[in-house]
Amino acid sequence: MSAPRDYELDELLRDAPLPDPPPLGDLLERELASLGPATPRNPRRDAGLVIGVSLVYAAALLAVLRLRRDLDGLPVGWMIAYSAAWFAGFASLAWIAIVPAPGAMMPRWRMAGVGAAIAATMFIAGGMLLHESTPLSVSYGLANLHRGHWCLEIGVATAIVPATVGALVLRGVLPVGSRWAAAGLGAAGGSLGGLVLHLHCPIADGWHLGIVHGGVVAVSALIAALLAPRRMSP
Amino acid sequence: MSADAIRLMERYVDGDATAFRALYALLAPKLLGYLSKMTRERAVADDLLQQTFLKVHRAREAWVRGADPTPWIYAIAHRTFLDEARRKQRAVVGVAKGDDLPEVKADLDGTAEGAAEPVPDLERTRAAMAALESLPPQQREAVVLTKLDGKSIAEAAAIAGTTPGAMKVRAHRGYVALRKALGASDEAAGPSASSDDGGKP
Repeated sequence: MSAPRDYELDELLRDAPLPDPPPLGDLLERELASLGPATPRNPRRDAGLVIGVSLVYAAALLAVLRLRRDLDGLPVGWMIAYSAAWFAGFASLAWIAIVPAPGAMMPRWRMAGVGAAIAATMFIAGGMLLHESTPLSVSYGLANLHRGHWCLEIGVATAIVPATVGALVLRGVLPVGSRWAAAGLGAAGGSLGGLVLHLHCPIADGWHLGIVHGGVVAVSALIAALLAPRRMSP
Repeated sequence: MSADAIRLMERYVDGDATAFRALYALLAPKLLGYLSKMTRERAVADDLLQQTFLKVHRAREAWVRGADPTPWIYAIAHRTFLDEARRKQRAVVGVAKGDDLPEVKADLDGTAEGAAEPVPDLERTRAAMAALESLPPQQREAVVLTKLDGKSIAEAAAIAGTTPGAMKVRAHRGYVALRKALGASDEAAGPSASSDDGGKP
């Protein structure tokens, strides 16, 4: 006989008898004995919860930190466009990381991870290339890039809430891809952190806006990818 | 199967334990087949099957109404297998013993029970299973999911946590290796029967 053709191999594999499974184990039987109704996940409601709670938290944080002092002199179009970009990054990444495709149960974790990488790259590049300033803006220059640690801390502190609440609503949902989804949630939180910084921080260097404000997205995504997955896997 | 699984999951989540048993009866044979192929040891596969369904039970609130739970349950089985393999620090357990194919009951004349239809070539199927077990774990998983369990490439990729492209490559390589191994074993069993030596001396 020769090596089987594809259709012969298909038939051989298809004909393989299935093993008889063992009866349910004692532990499972005990848990089933006290089975009660459970509330299944509602992904759209969960995403709304994450987005809503995160926005309230970010607004509270911004109220404490205060708005940037050079706000009045900045071009309105630039302020709105940049704010919209940060918000879109936050909301879209949170949505993708939490809401599955129709008929599916697991969210689009790969898309969330790839989206995190794209968002981080775009916000870093956008910050470096598209910055505006007024006489009230602060300019430190590249030599003082290290002054960005305060902004990094604010941004990551903002990201904690969306990433944590997102991980909680996704607990038990992702046996695979949890790290990717967590990166998406972290990047969503980082984008919200970027929005808070955009409205708070008067430093107008391209390097600061790119590396620090944009970098918040990357740092938050990495931290979330390292810490969150354990909660999200069943 | 997916409509049945959705309906059973719906009842199970609403608190019907018999629906869980029915879901187990529906999915456990294929899942056990998958886990047996991956672990290559029936006792371990049985244990992982129990762990898989225990995780399903404890995470049942993760289900979304109207969604097919099958890929999620397979993905839990995949994760459970990986965790076990990592825990034991070995991805492959034991060697192929050929004891994971259930015995087919035979009548006194030696024909398989209920074999009114053409009987599959059991020896060849056993050889295919043995060859399957010699594949690297990722290729084995790809062949089991796409050929034995009839999953699409996209479904298999979602279960294994990889890209459809990578799954397609694994399945193709696994299939090629399987054909090669089966051809070699056939020739070793009976070289004179080989039909592709095309007049070689």
